[in-house]
Amino acid sequence: MHDGSGLIAVQNLTKQFGPVVAVQNLSFTVSPGSVTGFLGPNGAGKTTTLRMLLGLVRPTGGTATINGRPFHQLGQPGRVVGAVLEAQGFHPARSARDHLRVYAAAIGVPDAQADQVIGLVGLGSAADRKVGGFSLGMKQRLALATALLGDPQVLVLDEPANGLDPEGIAWLRTFLQSYARMGRTVLISSHLLAEVEQTVDQVVIISRGQTMFYGPLEQLRQSQQKRVLVQPSDINALATALRAEGVQAIEQLPDGRLAVSGVDSRRVADSALKAGVSIYGIQEEQVDLERLFFQLTSGQYAGYAPAPAPFKQQGGWA
Amino acid sequence: MGLMGNLVQAELRKTTTTGLWWGLLIPTVVLALGWGLATGLLGQFFVDFASSSDVDEVSDFLGVTPDQWKVSLFGIARAINISTIFPMVFGAMAISGEINRRTITTTFLTAPSRMHAMLAKMLVYVLWGAVYGLAIMLFVGIGVVVTSDAGQLPDAGGWAMLTLVCVLSSILMTMFGVGVGALVTNVAGSVVLLLLYFLVIENVLHFVLVYLEVPAVAGFLPNGSINGLTGSVAVDLFLSTAGVVPPEIEDVLRAIAGAGGALDWWWSGLVFLGWAGIVFAGGWAVTQSKDIT
Repeated sequence: MHDGSGLIAVQNLTKQFGPVVAVQNLSFTVSPGSVTGFLGPNGAGKTTTLRMLLGLVRPTGGTATINGRPFHQLGQPGRVVGAVLEAQGFHPARSARDHLRVYAAAIGVPDAQADQVIGLVGLGSAADRKVGGFSLGMKQRLALATALLGDPQVLVLDEPANGLDPEGIAWLRTFLQSYARMGRTVLISSHLLAEVEQTVDQVVIISRGQTMFYGPLEQLRQSQQKRVLVQPSDINALATALRAEGVQAIEQLPDGRLAVSGVDSRRVADSALKAGVSIYGIQEEQVDLERLFFQLTSGQYAGYAPAPAPFKQQGGWA
Repeated sequence: MGLMGNLVQAELRKTTTTGLWWGLLIPTVVLALGWGLATGLLGQFFVDFASSSDVDEVSDFLGVTPDQWKVSLFGIARAINISTIFPMVFGAMAISGEINRRTITTTFLTAPSRMHAMLAKMLVYVLWGAVYGLAIMLFVGIGVVVTSDAGQLPDAGGWAMLTLVCVLSSILMTMFGVGVGALVTNVAGSVVLLLLYFLVIENVLHFVLVYLEVPAVAGFLPNGSINGLTGSVAVDLFLSTAGVVPPEIEDVLRAIAGAGGALDWWWSGLVFLGWAGIVFAGGWAVTQSKDIT
């Protein structure tokens, strides 16, 4: 049986759909006790990876294990891992409660558990309504309730914020963090870093089916050097003064400012004062994770900027 | 309760929490009742005709007077054959329906393996096949009893035997449907394929086989063997009370009962079980290797 470690391990995972390589030699691990974000643009292979982890898609190569075992060797998988996946269906004529009771039976937990999870996700008042009439957000909550039926040690969620209103997203964030704090494993995918930035502690960033970064979010933040943006009265004088002090990472921005990396704003101001240069404006640039994320994942579907209009509009409507 | 028991309960709940089971059961029993009623009326008409002096030679052949012929048997066999199309369709939607609605994802996420999930489903549909079979027999029986003279009806042993093969036939047809649904994985596709095959394609094949002078092969085809299961019992019951019958007449009687292949009823059942097994194995192979995306 499985080792109960709560560890997700993906090793050299590869999947080809015909000529299309969806996932290529992907490796990462996810540990219990924290929320891990699984990030990448749409089409990067996130869903395929999660489905391979959950035994729904057969890998072309490599392994994906939960608690040291592939999904099919977990014995009672519903009690080890719960999953909310995109395109996970419901029978429209079945009530939410009946839906949960079906899978409570399959997992082997009492029916009372179905009523408990439906209350937990805030669907108590809609329990006896047919799922066909549910909004996307309600279906998402019901999918989460289904995932929680077996009180699993590992929770895997594919784009769970889809369809949730801001209140629902805030609730989900708190819920997942407290779930992880109980020593469980939470893996949550998203194509937007900003969406999960406040939820996750660890990130796995993939692009074109390959791992681009994997580690603590804090480490990702620190990997981006701070920059000071300064607008001096004399660009050349300030640049020369900074270089004389050993600061080499100086860049002139198109708007006429200097971008100085590796120092703080006080040091730049002091140099300017010594060099007799006035400063009209100075700011420390905040670490923009979204931009970093974009740099890590860009290029998959690079589009072109729209071409300038070939001719001027003549006359118009006047 | 063991793992398998849990899954069986889950599959049973899936079928009872939506309306499909009764949505298909209603036309099933209406059809069964209709066939039963028509059987009695047609049988009465036939017996009246046969009792007139012109066809005395035939009654001499069979050794009993026409009012003692248990003609209802043939209609009952035919009624069972046609009515079991519905449980087959019900079975066909077991797996294809889940794939269509994408509920198969959750089903596979909560089962130890796909094989476990499919076996549990098959067990539940065997049970449903039996329920449909009993309902079909009940309504065919009501229809026949209301419209037939007592002399044309089977005895208690006959009814018991017919009930047995009706339930068996319904179970087997349901199993066949489950297999085809897993193999084709598309609700409309599998239902249309089954209806076309059972109502049109194989009937054409039977004509071809007769033309090729190998009509016995029909008894080994899916529709031929499942019809043989009920038809053979009907013919056997008819002959057991009809006296000495020449082989040519027996062949005609088998054709009327829909058992042209002339295998014993249990042989027919085994042949069809084989077909259901082949289809299910194919469906299992497809399901096992299928990427659920």
